[in-house]
Amino acid sequence: MTAAPVESPRPDVEPQHHLALRHGDVGRYVLLPGDPGRCERIASRFDDARMVAKNREYETWTGTLDGAKVSVTSTGIGCPSATIAVEELVKLGADTFIRVGTSGGMQPGMRTGELAIVSAAIRDEGTSRHYLPIEFPAVADLDVVLALREAARRTGALARVGISQSKDSFYAELEPDRMPTAPELHEQWQAYIAGGAISSEMEASAIFIVAAIHRVRAGGLMVCFGSPDMTEEEAEATRADFSLDPLIDTAVEGLRVLIERDAGG
Amino acid sequence: MPVTEADGRFHHIAILPGEVGRYVLLPGDPGRVEKIASRFLEPRFVASHREYVTWTGTLDGVSVSCTSTGIGCPSTAIAVEELVGAGADTFIRVGTSGAMQPDIRTGDVGVITGAIRDEGTSRHYLPIEYPAVADIDVTAALRDGARDAGIPFHLGVAQSKDSFYGQHEPERMPIAAELGRRWDAWMAGGAICSEMEAATLYIVASVLRVRAGGVMLIFQNLDHTPPTEEDLRNGDVERVIDVAIAGLRRLIAADRAAGRPLEPGVPA
Repeated sequence: MTAAPVESPRPDVEPQHHLALRHGDVGRYVLLPGDPGRCERIASRFDDARMVAKNREYETWTGTLDGAKVSVTSTGIGCPSATIAVEELVKLGADTFIRVGTSGGMQPGMRTGELAIVSAAIRDEGTSRHYLPIEFPAVADLDVVLALREAARRTGALARVGISQSKDSFYAELEPDRMPTAPELHEQWQAYIAGGAISSEMEASAIFIVAAIHRVRAGGLMVCFGSPDMTEEEAEATRADFSLDPLIDTAVEGLRVLIERDAGG
Repeated sequence: MPVTEADGRFHHIAILPGEVGRYVLLPGDPGRVEKIASRFLEPRFVASHREYVTWTGTLDGVSVSCTSTGIGCPSTAIAVEELVGAGADTFIRVGTSGAMQPDIRTGDVGVITGAIRDEGTSRHYLPIEYPAVADIDVTAALRDGARDAGIPFHLGVAQSKDSFYGQHEPERMPIAAELGRRWDAWMAGGAICSEMEAATLYIVASVLRVRAGGVMLIFQNLDHTPPTEEDLRNGDVERVIDVAIAGLRRLIAADRAAGRPLEPGVPA
């Protein structure tokens, strides 16, 4: 991928239907949290950050980082709203995405607060099937993954690279026993853990698939809560470690690494 | 632990624990194993049984092996299971493939980041929504290896299919329409090449917590024109072996720098 600035193919486009953004409102680099309430906090790490649009669950702030234009846009919860965000951002010239959010730790021995650098995602959701048959892997961009790993080294955050489960139902994961499909949910969960999945969240797989279709780069960084070998009480006792700061620090550092490398550094 | 015979040899690949390095190159064709192993220092033949031929030697002072998988995911899964039983934990698939994007030229190589699970074997391991993804360090080393070797490369997803003739002569299959639609979808998704083993290699590696990656020589045949003389020259399998060996050297160097073990532990 070259470092050439990306211009919108349609400078005259109307404000995007859902994101309410216009040409020039966003940089090529975009961080994607789920929660609109987190955009301002993330954007506070940029220089000259300003809110550029707010509509539905989508809030966007834009600023600069080492001189490059960067943005943060919330996706809302789930793949349906996340794919709308990515589609409209790509139309405006964005081509590098890092999902930033919270997740459940899936491997025994993981600690609350550990970061998951997402190399690929389990397509345990409905949205990405509207794009590609289910056999197609939801894979992150290699350079984004390597940049996030380098960023974690620089920030000193505890981090591991691996696969994330992207699910459609939050409560089916949290309270599977009350779902009519409980046996299937348990069996799948155990299979994903056996496969080595490290985190459970709700947007990565569709972001990666839509990125593949558009030939843009995407990756993900999650802060993990709990692990399968903790009881609910044990996990709750670690809640103070569930801090967003190392997550945001590392995601922003990851952008810096990418900006530096794209510039030929 | 995979099945062994009374003499302690693994049931299908017929090697003993300890007869392979932790690093194993995996071509499909048993006829290519000796050619690949000739790039090792002091290569020696280890075993031959069914479609599985194994040679072991050294590279930069470290034991390395090459084992053929035969064609397809069923025989590949067996090879990987038994090689892990013998102490291997890092796999690089080395093979040939067909181009899935028009800008790829015959003789380019594909560094395979993930694979389309268009096959049956990996479903016996993990649900189909689970991604078949290569190890990040192996992939980065192979990309560096392609740069070292000076061979044009493409980084991306491969289609791993079960039917060779379903791809090459889809029109004569009863499900021709579906085969055509799916092929178009894989191309639209950005898949770079079509082969027959990577998806299961990656899924079995995930389950066994070992590392895997893949590098493929690509033949451009999307437009069905006969190969030119340049194509035939570029279609030499030595090109992909150059990249695999250069990538393996990069990986060994990175593992050495990180203080990771370079030889297999004594199998349990």
